[in-house]
Amino acid sequence: MDHNSLTLLAHGFAQVMMPVNLLFLVVGIVLGLLVAVLPGLTLVMGVVLALPFTYSMAVTPAIILLTAMYVSGTYAGAWTSILFRVPGEPIDVPLLWDGYPMARKGEAAKALGWTLLAAFFGGMVAATTMVLLAQPVAKIALTFSSPEYFAIIFFGLASVVSLGGGTLANALISLFAGILLATVGVDDTYGAHRFTFGVPILADGIDYLVVMVGAYGLGEVFMRMEQGFQSPQLARTGDIRTRLPRLTEALAMKATFIRGALAGIVIGIVPGAGATVASFLSYGIEAQYGKRRHKMGTGIPEGIVAPQVAATASVGGALIPLVTMGIPGSGATAIILGAFLLHGLQPGPQVFQTSSHIIYALFASVFVGIIVMCAIGYFATKYMVKVLDLPEVIVSAYVVMCCLLGAFAARNNLTDVWMMVIFGIIGYLFERFRFPITPMVLGVILGPLAEANFMTTMISFENDWTVLFTRPVASAIMAIAIITLIYPLFRYLRHQGKGRR
Amino acid sequence: MTTALTQRTLLAACITTIGAFAAAAPAIAQEKYPSRPIEFVVPWGPGGGADQLARKIAPGLEKALGVSLPVINVAGATGQTGLTKMLSAASDGYSISVFIADTLALQMEASTKWKLTDMTPAAIMIQQPSAFFVAENSPLKSWKDVEAEAKKRPLKVGVTGFGSADDLHVIYFNGKGLKLQSVPFPKPAERYTSVLGGHADLMYEQLGDVKSFLDGKQMRPVLIFADKRFPAFKDVPTGKELGHGIIINQFRAVVMKAGTDAARVKAVSDALAKVAGTDDYKTWLNDQFADANSFVPAAKAAAFMKGELDAMRKYAPKK
Repeated sequence: MDHNSLTLLAHGFAQVMMPVNLLFLVVGIVLGLLVAVLPGLTLVMGVVLALPFTYSMAVTPAIILLTAMYVSGTYAGAWTSILFRVPGEPIDVPLLWDGYPMARKGEAAKALGWTLLAAFFGGMVAATTMVLLAQPVAKIALTFSSPEYFAIIFFGLASVVSLGGGTLANALISLFAGILLATVGVDDTYGAHRFTFGVPILADGIDYLVVMVGAYGLGEVFMRMEQGFQSPQLARTGDIRTRLPRLTEALAMKATFIRGALAGIVIGIVPGAGATVASFLSYGIEAQYGKRRHKMGTGIPEGIVAPQVAATASVGGALIPLVTMGIPGSGATAIILGAFLLHGLQPGPQVFQTSSHIIYALFASVFVGIIVMCAIGYFATKYMVKVLDLPEVIVSAYVVMCCLLGAFAARNNLTDVWMMVIFGIIGYLFERFRFPITPMVLGVILGPLAEANFMTTMISFENDWTVLFTRPVASAIMAIAIITLIYPLFRYLRHQGKGRR
Repeated sequence: MTTALTQRTLLAACITTIGAFAAAAPAIAQEKYPSRPIEFVVPWGPGGGADQLARKIAPGLEKALGVSLPVINVAGATGQTGLTKMLSAASDGYSISVFIADTLALQMEASTKWKLTDMTPAAIMIQQPSAFFVAENSPLKSWKDVEAEAKKRPLKVGVTGFGSADDLHVIYFNGKGLKLQSVPFPKPAERYTSVLGGHADLMYEQLGDVKSFLDGKQMRPVLIFADKRFPAFKDVPTGKELGHGIIINQFRAVVMKAGTDAARVKAVSDALAKVAGTDDYKTWLNDQFADANSFVPAAKAAAFMKGELDAMRKYAPKK
């Protein structure tokens, strides 16, 4: 980092620390936390809603506010995921696979501590990368196209299937059911109506939010209802003194942190995918290559850290192509680009030169934003875990209310609420009969992305699917994904062979 | 006795009231317009071109009309959700909307629930010519190179989607013997990446939307669809001069519900004309690489929109 950019960054911090800007930063952080906690309001929708309020503001505070929202929006959904099994954002679905079991073991405070540390680490590493290496790494964005996007998403789909719990066959059935659900609606490429039965609401598709919130949140409440809201007494939260993990514990997991941060930054930079894909992919990588990969899904911290590090790291990643080339790396950065445009600035190499003070204020706001977010998170955690001391039946009532609100808020449509209830029942039945629900939710979230990128690949390469295996980056990712898929089968066959001998 | 009296008084009161209302009715019609805030519907999300137009002109309109114009974003269904909201309000002039070429293009399909006659345009505010772009480092330096190459092998063109104005241009040139393949990228970021990263050979877009890439010397136009050459790109030929008459501009208009009192349409149209006449607005048009004569007043706007639709129909593939 040369002297000039260091001065600019210092100037950026000075700008962020100005009372007005700092106020908007804190407002942005709090709004982002709220948006992330509410299951019906996704991060991108939240930033869209905030954008019009920034029109009358000066450009610097406007950018700071939206960036702060984006940073904290990748974090707070973990709270509801861990405490109630209600993912506040699609980002937080992988977090509940280990986070919720961990909370049920009485380690809720610890689980929350891990997410805090993960968000801090991921955010800081990505922000540092953004400042030091923005120009060189921005080129990564251009080397990826639809075959690579498809390969990444395919890996996301493949890796989690292998840990669906239970058999691979059941996991695949559940996954394909999810992908099929995702095809309902008007097809993006050719505009064909699929499984819409002439019902207008179905033409818009089944919102993944409805499936996610229903299957996890409401499904869990039904499960508890069956047990008469008397699940085994949790360890008293008061007994747990440590909230933040100890340094030695964190150091033991340094590989997880680094892998997650790298995955998050790269996925962030690539325009076809955002925090959600980063989070799923990072969990998948951990489940495949982590030290304790066989224990993933049982409530170990690796399963919380991997997705959270990647999700928050993707923020810094997604901002890189935005400021250097004017290409937003994710849905939320596309809205931040809109804020720039409305103030008459088109981000790109020019603005990086001529209006560098705004760009560096944005950089600085990411750093300060992460610190403010973690401070709020640290103090909130203390009170949040107290929720678990409440009678289960009361907590469940709140969860149901949250689910209903979330389903309605997504599209302001009552049909969505009913669909959410149906998926709640489906989620309960799956759980009851030990059929994995996770692959289905995964299919609903990643299915449309996989399809759109597959279609674009096909159109782009004259229906030649072999490009997925001939382009270097795509083929490498596809190979890993396929190994992931066949490995359990291979292990099974070897096991059979041994048994016979 | 008291009861009867009360009844009579009540009856009298009623009659008087009704009478008063009847007398007041014409007064309401004559009421000064506008006397309360006008809702300004943007049928697209915040940050896009339609939104930028509304936010740009709203302050000027507020000044000219003397009331506030809250901008409301109602996105969805290629602009139809917001349009439906405006059309379902009363035709009293208190709900106006932005209307853009992409939504108009839907009229080519017979299935739309609204017709062009459901609305009265108050003005066309901006017209942006489009162009085919290549990456700055592309081996294809000019439209001549593109034509020569597209006869040898199929070239990939990044477009917003099938059936869009982008796609119509590709179809037009395929009819002229070139081999071009539309590749849909609905998200602008992915479309721009496709051409910058060399994943597509060409891209179709409005000049104004890729200003930063043009300024930054990352991509450049090879063929511009406009009546005459742009001063900023005086070496780039227009489609017209090469004998390609196809021009489908991206336009953005302000429309009101059909049946709105003509005087009210005129009031809004005059206010829009005033805004469009300011130097500030002209500078903005220039920055957007828009046609300097973008503005079309209410009297000619309906015919303009019909003409644009006819142009789209003319180049749409025959079914």
